[in-house]
Amino acid sequence: MRKLFTLILLLSGIRILISCGNSNFSYNPERHFSNIEKDILTKFILCKDSSIIELPEGHFLFSQSLILDGKKNITIKGAGMEKTVLSFKDQQQGAEGIKIANCENIILEGFSVEDADGDNIKASDTDGITFRDIKVAWTGPLSEQNGAYGFYPVICNNVLIEECEAIGASDAGIYVGQSTNVIIRNNKAYANVAGIESENSEQVEIYNNEAFDNTGGILIFDLPGLSRYGKKVKMYNNYIHNNNQPNFGIKGSIVSTIPTGSGLVVLATRDVEIYNNHFANHKTINVGIISYEILAALAKEEEGDLKEQQAVAVAGVRGMDQNYKEDQNYDPFPGKVRISDNKFSNEYSLPNLQSDFGLLWISKLGLNIPDIAIDGIQAPQYFLPNGQLNPDYSICLENNGEILFVNLDAGNDLEGFTTEIPENICSPSL
Amino acid sequence: MKNSLLFILLCSFAFCQPKKAREETASPAQKERFDNSHLAALGKLKLSDYGFFKGELSDLLPAERVFPYELNTPLFTDYAYKKRFIYIPENSKMQYHPKETFAFPEGAVLIKNFYYPLDFRKAEGPKRIIETRLLIKEKQQWRSLPYIWSEDQKEAYLEVTGGQTQVSWINGKGEQQQNQYLIPNLNQCKSCHIKGQSISPIGPKARHLNRKVKSDQGEHNQLAYWEKQSILTKLPKPSEWPANAVWNNAQYSTDDRALAYLDINCGHCHNPEGPAKTSALDLTVFAQSNLERGINKAPIAAGRGAGNLQYDIVPGHAEASILWYRMNSDDPGIMMPELGRNMIDQEGVALIKAWIDQMGAPKNNI
Repeated sequence: MRKLFTLILLLSGIRILISCGNSNFSYNPERHFSNIEKDILTKFILCKDSSIIELPEGHFLFSQSLILDGKKNITIKGAGMEKTVLSFKDQQQGAEGIKIANCENIILEGFSVEDADGDNIKASDTDGITFRDIKVAWTGPLSEQNGAYGFYPVICNNVLIEECEAIGASDAGIYVGQSTNVIIRNNKAYANVAGIESENSEQVEIYNNEAFDNTGGILIFDLPGLSRYGKKVKMYNNYIHNNNQPNFGIKGSIVSTIPTGSGLVVLATRDVEIYNNHFANHKTINVGIISYEILAALAKEEEGDLKEQQAVAVAGVRGMDQNYKEDQNYDPFPGKVRISDNKFSNEYSLPNLQSDFGLLWISKLGLNIPDIAIDGIQAPQYFLPNGQLNPDYSICLENNGEILFVNLDAGNDLEGFTTEIPENICSPSL
Repeated sequence: MKNSLLFILLCSFAFCQPKKAREETASPAQKERFDNSHLAALGKLKLSDYGFFKGELSDLLPAERVFPYELNTPLFTDYAYKKRFIYIPENSKMQYHPKETFAFPEGAVLIKNFYYPLDFRKAEGPKRIIETRLLIKEKQQWRSLPYIWSEDQKEAYLEVTGGQTQVSWINGKGEQQQNQYLIPNLNQCKSCHIKGQSISPIGPKARHLNRKVKSDQGEHNQLAYWEKQSILTKLPKPSEWPANAVWNNAQYSTDDRALAYLDINCGHCHNPEGPAKTSALDLTVFAQSNLERGINKAPIAAGRGAGNLQYDIVPGHAEASILWYRMNSDDPGIMMPELGRNMIDQEGVALIKAWIDQMGAPKNNI
């Protein structure tokens, strides 16, 4: 892979000649705060199973997380996302705004959560969690000081996120991790580093959402070393456009590696169906399908450079677990990915030159930004013993109209870089 | 005499007032206690009602069946001192476990009192007790109840929503210190004490308790003493008792002290069954591999807690390690542990720094 990096290193020199794009986005709603902390806190602590916690209309300031733990069948209900606002901007205790843990059948609806120090709403180890008509946001200009996740269900089953909005997350606006049976629909995610992210989750449906003005619109990721692995993700009827926000993620987070101008990135996930979506106006790529291998290789390369410079503390790209190969249950390659019947368009032709990929495009493709790119790194079992392509690693493209496709062939120093769409091996079993 | 006159005067004045006005003259704390039916359903409203202590409550002198205990390495709580006791009901016993929290009989109570000696150089001298946390063993489960001490130190009252109070003390070096001490609310108790789906004590495990303590009867090992007192069963022979290092005792190796420190301060969440299992980081003494322990391990969802750093632990470079970065912060969005402190444990951070800095090239499965 050395050639790829040499090229990138060379091209990176060009970067300093080009001015950085800075974000002008700022979210500044008018607020008039009052304090009902003790009353609400008491309700969260003492509520009985099968009850409703009513949040009144108004703007309320909290100094600590609101925790709901070990409860069943609770509804937390406000007067509407624009009417009931819970702000954690001067939070002294806890990292989350609202934290739900070890619960069953919880519904949150009709309020906003703003400016938590860490994550706005986190739910863990919970079976049955619904977010409806909830807005999560960090106010003011975008900053790496913003909290990480807007919606953050992790290790949950039966998750529903609908009619919600997520703004300003320095990681993902709507995130679902290590969870099973997930529906994310009719939401808006904008001005986050990642708009919507499904990580190590299975049986996930993402539809009728709009993701725009993020660094990356939608991410479908599978990472090593975790309690569950990602598969069976369906994504349809989404409008993913203009995700050209400069990346304001903190280094060290995986989303900080997402190049500005990414529509959808699928990383190492199996059984992914992407159809009837509209991808538009991305300065790096409308859709990228990549393996963990390329991230690990890029990280290793950069780390090597750092060590040579004896500048260990100055991190560049995110550290990747180089020992991911020891995880027997983890497959670093994407597979059974079907991309069909989508609409692709792009009003840009000059790629984002802050990204190595943008530099690569301009050197290889001129003023053309690809719609779909794959890294082309082949799994060890990419070919079956009989020489046929292994359907487990198929990436199938069908009926996407006129698209510009790129296979980087990153495993072979870009030698096989091509815009030829490979022979389809779309399997009907998908 | 003068006082009682004043008292009568005040009382008669109070009775002359219409009911509503009377309530308004009550202090916020008293007002709170007027409406305590929801609290009474949880537990006794006053700490003294349990009868754990004899004489003056604030002397914390254990009554019958209440046994003091200490840990080899304790959790850091803003430099607060802690007096810990176990109440074991008549005719019942704890049961030893080599790894997990001992099995406790129904009705047992763990009593943890948080206080600041006014001068740490005279730790047994005058003190201010802030809070007492109870863990009560019911038939199937543990329940946590927090009590906050009154300023006059005569009583502690059940308070589920926590609170905060300004504390000051003179530290071991003779320096004046102060802190806005945060008293956790009932749900925050659970955030640390949750194991699987239910609450569990953290301290009473063999490796924390296996130590010599001083008492009126001289020096003795806690486990052996409890067996002698017939409150602990199934104790194996002493050679099988595990023991964590004492984190601030230089007679132990830096490795052992650091692992003991991380075990008690972090391991209650960062273990394969704890709330921080999502991070795949195991900071108990049972972690097997470098990756589990955080060595060259990338963070999962640390947000800005990652602090622009790549790995939890970079051997030889504490300042490049997320573990050190988060321990060395007091920003609630960054710091670890994320609850239960408002200050940085300077000495603890120094220990972890020394430990990481002296780590050589990573070995497999140290």
